[in-house]
Amino acid sequence: MNDDRMDELLAEAARDYNAPAGIPREEMWTRIQAERGARRSRGSTHRVWLWPSVGVAAAVLLAVGVMLGRRMERSTGSVSTVARVAPDSSRTKQSTSVAAVGARGGDSSADLIGKLRHETTDTDRQVRELASRTPDAPVDESTSLSYRLVVLKHLAGSEAMITAFRSEARRGEVDAQIAAWSKELLSTTRMLEASQANDDPTMRRLLRDLDLVLAQIKQYVTRGTSDPDDLALIEQSIIKRGVINKLRSTVPARNVPAGT
Amino acid sequence: MNENPRLIDRQLVHRCLAGEPQAERALYDAHVERIYRLVHRMAGDADLAADFTQETFIRAFDRLEQFRGDSSLATWLHTIAVSVALNGMRSVKRLRARTDNIDETPDLAARQPGFTADLKARLHSAIDALSEKLRPVFVMHDVEGYTHEEIAGSLGIPVGTSKARLFDARAKLRIALSAFAGDHIA
Repeated sequence: MNDDRMDELLAEAARDYNAPAGIPREEMWTRIQAERGARRSRGSTHRVWLWPSVGVAAAVLLAVGVMLGRRMERSTGSVSTVARVAPDSSRTKQSTSVAAVGARGGDSSADLIGKLRHETTDTDRQVRELASRTPDAPVDESTSLSYRLVVLKHLAGSEAMITAFRSEARRGEVDAQIAAWSKELLSTTRMLEASQANDDPTMRRLLRDLDLVLAQIKQYVTRGTSDPDDLALIEQSIIKRGVINKLRSTVPARNVPAGT
Repeated sequence: MNENPRLIDRQLVHRCLAGEPQAERALYDAHVERIYRLVHRMAGDADLAADFTQETFIRAFDRLEQFRGDSSLATWLHTIAVSVALNGMRSVKRLRARTDNIDETPDLAARQPGFTADLKARLHSAIDALSEKLRPVFVMHDVEGYTHEEIAGSLGIPVGTSKARLFDARAKLRIALSAFAGDHIA
């Protein structure tokens, strides 16, 4: 074959290379506005985010999501496995109270996942709302607290999803809702990485690690295969980066009364 | 009506800097399609393309006062877009190296059986394998139809360099495909 013929074939074949199916014009515009607002807010304040000290208000808001997540962990019997792969002395303190919740629970896995997802599904919208509410104004105390509550809610939801995923994946039956849920959480994580939340070095590292793990989970469930090697890689990322431990040390779960 | 495009650019930028939301939306609408198409071609993933496009416009709006009008607004935006996409892809490559290449690229060969599909699959792999210098030029010129002047402006390289890189890219792709095509066509 001569070069001209080869160039024709190349040109023809190149047209399909990574061709976009459509353009999410409005969705991108909404996010651009939200992120610009968030960045302006971040730029107008040098507040240090003291994540672990948010306290009781955050705990109350987070209660349902966190407890459902840990109840999921108990009800699917994965605590012993998790503890084996990621020993964490702080879990021992929580297990006693959480066990009671798990014992009372009568929901199926799918029901629990549905509830968990419902708890966190509009975190993304809340982040956008907060980002666009005061794009130019300095961040006052109430806005800052609201922001932190939403972020903590997101982290609680992420912990719940990762816990649910690990339990389901070990049984080889990942609920279909987890695909959409992981995508939503990944999207919110990336929005937060571009927000004032990222100013805090600890939070920045946590969001970066969470981004990686959520991306891996999203890819795993989207492909719909159950490759044990892929699962091992996800587990390795969670453990090596201490994602669950970091999430639990950031979310003030110890302030949450069992069964809330 | 033949209005000077540079003048239109400057007026639009001026309105954006004056805080007109409609002007910002007009700037976005005028350029988003081309930017998104380009970064999608470079990233091969709709989510990444959306992220890169968003970041491009966020940076552009943040730095709009730096736009001097020496180049067209489109060229200026493309400079940002290419930079965002290349930096983003470096991170993605690192991630994928850790996650054993968990790509969602559609299986073209499965959709279009036969020689053409095989060739396309080979070509797409070969384009993916081009270096960071050659691939943007090839994608912009042969895939998206940019001129060498536009490419040079967007990548900050001389026009001659753009042409040379395209020549090199095509040569590498020919080599990558020649054995395969020869087997089927000869």
